Amino acid sequence: MKQHTKGNFHQTAAPLLFLLPNILIFGLFIIVPAIQGLRMSFTEWGVFTTPRFIGFANFVELAQDTVFWKTFSNTIVYSLFTVSLIMVYALALALLLYKNTIKGEKIFRSLFYIPSLLSMITVGIAWRFILGDEMGIINYLLRQSGGSGIPWLTDGNLAMVSIIGVSIWAQAGYYMIILIAGLQAIPLELYEAATIDGASTTKTFTAITLPLLRSTLLVVMVLSTIASFKAYELISVMTKGGPGYATKLIVQQVYQVAFLEDRMGYASAMSIVLMLIISIFTLVQFKFTGKEQDYE
Amino acid sequence: MKKILGILLILVLVSTTVFAAGTKEETGKDVTLSVLWFNDANEDEIFLNTIDDYLQANPHVKLDMQIVAYSEYDQKLKLMISGGNPPDVARITTNTLSVVVDSLEPIDNHVADIEAVKAQFLPSMVAFASNTKGEFVAYPTEATANGMLINKSAFDKAGIDVDEVSKDWTWSEWESIVKQVVAANPEMKYGLTVDFTPHRFSTLMYQFGGHFLNKDQSNMEFNNPGTIAAIKWFKHVHDAGLVPKSVWLGSENPAELFQAGLVAGHIGGSWNINTYNKNVTDFEWKAVRMPKAEINSSVPGGKFIASFKGSKNQEEAFKLMEAFADKAHNEMYSRDTFNIPSRVDAQVTYPSNSDDFEVFLEELKVTPAFTANEWKNTNLSKVTTYIREQIVEVLLGNISAEEAVTNVDKKGATYFK
Repeated sequence: MKQHTKGNFHQTAAPLLFLLPNILIFGLFIIVPAIQGLRMSFTEWGVFTTPRFIGFANFVELAQDTVFWKTFSNTIVYSLFTVSLIMVYALALALLLYKNTIKGEKIFRSLFYIPSLLSMITVGIAWRFILGDEMGIINYLLRQSGGSGIPWLTDGNLAMVSIIGVSIWAQAGYYMIILIAGLQAIPLELYEAATIDGASTTKTFTAITLPLLRSTLLVVMVLSTIASFKAYELISVMTKGGPGYATKLIVQQVYQVAFLEDRMGYASAMSIVLMLIISIFTLVQFKFTGKEQDYE
Repeated sequence: MKKILGILLILVLVSTTVFAAGTKEETGKDVTLSVLWFNDANEDEIFLNTIDDYLQANPHVKLDMQIVAYSEYDQKLKLMISGGNPPDVARITTNTLSVVVDSLEPIDNHVADIEAVKAQFLPSMVAFASNTKGEFVAYPTEATANGMLINKSAFDKAGIDVDEVSKDWTWSEWESIVKQVVAANPEMKYGLTVDFTPHRFSTLMYQFGGHFLNKDQSNMEFNNPGTIAAIKWFKHVHDAGLVPKSVWLGSENPAELFQAGLVAGHIGGSWNINTYNKNVTDFEWKAVRMPKAEINSSVPGGKFIASFKGSKNQEEAFKLMEAFADKAHNEMYSRDTFNIPSRVDAQVTYPSNSDDFEVFLEELKVTPAFTANEWKNTNLSKVTTYIREQIVEVLLGNISAEEAVTNVDKKGATYFK
């Protein structure tokens, strides 16, 4: 009886004790503010005024807010393209660089990884210098060679393409490293067996690599999706959400409503909707790709 | 016995400490003032240089300067105030002033004769720095105005005497003149750039006879013929290629375009005199009077320093601000920052560019008084970003000027209810 109690402590209470600091920090800095945000979303509140309970009025207004829905559709477009292209690009890089067979492979890995170490503000400023209409390096070179400049940041569609491209450039290296770790964890015997069986490269990739990389790909997908829904600094620096509303995402609108228009309650309602969207996306991703992998 | 001895020792220690503290109070308690600041150029250094003599004379006062980027400044200040931890002193603009005005500690509570203090400053500055109760809540440090700086070398090359033509020109005359200037200068691409802010756009709006608010400031009234005319004209000059789209549509820095010699003129704030004085070496530039539409107008503005309700060291903060705002310090600060002084009695001799400052002062003199009242309105400051977005929507051709002003009035009305 005594041993049974001790066993329970080791198996349940002890791990919980080790987790306690993390649970406390997570609760204090994530859960409590999230609950507070939910509470605020039912209020009319400016920074210097007392919150007033208004029920679902903020959510009703949100449903009719055309600017919010424009930023919502921009967020979906930005996220879909950024996440899918990051996954393809990062996987391609990882496949090229995980085997240690190319000369200077580690240098290439570092080169692709370095942009992810930079702050997004630095990345945004640098790329604005490159893509600027009048002062940008690319347009300068185009004009010097007799061509005309391209409105990278002043045409709505091109501005969206530009920020998606820069986001991929800035983040793919980070996900490449995760995928390289995933690829290196796949047992080599499986590839050797496939070679002996005469499987083609494509067949090996679709039958061995992709299925066994599924959980790593899921991690990359979830992380990059969450990051894309929270993209703020890069867009603020590169386009300020413009031209017009062309590249404005929900997070930019939340900032504007909360801190420039002084409507904390309404901004909280937007944040709650954003949280729900991210949760739905994450659940869907888990549903479709989150099966257990088996190396046996 | 040991207990009694211990208690006695503690009593001696406590009484000594209290006595020591009392002595310290008499000689001036050490105080570290928290100062929140932003820079247009290097104003933090000039501020410290200006009050160096005050700090030397008051060695018990130390400053903890926190420099914040202007784009983050309002948010930072608002969070500090709402968190119950406002700075002792902060540099604020007219825009910020309208947002935090109710949190500022009135100077009235700290001086014997507030009317005498107010009388030392320009009336427009006093108007900005007064709250709804009429209390004076911030010391004006510099006056600013919007105006036009032009590339004089480019006008000379086109054979145009810009001093002569700009004496009393209209926007339609400007248009034909600037086309000649661009044509005569192969490196130059545009006639004018305007800062990507509603404040700078409002310069044009006021010139075209427009306004933001109704007369008693009880609601938005952006939907008026003058404002619509200004927006339409602004779209026209963009579509005609006289103004680069990259500023209002692509967030490119207009000052950089001017410094690169790509535009003939720049409508910006008076602080650009300082910037261009330092950075422009390839061509001659100068300030000229802005063209007229319905009327001539600039937009007054300014910078201030203030303390807050709940600031921890208010007494020392007010002593420092009072010293910084006196005649000698204000003249020194205005001269070194290349700014228009905020005091009526200031006599500033700038090392250069005195004529340019004179032009901006002339613009201020003809500016209608209601413009200052509009820009100090707290509710207007909540709609300005939306106004900018709606103007861009017009420039993109997504909506008409009439639709934009209607949208702005609808949105603005929610803040005036």
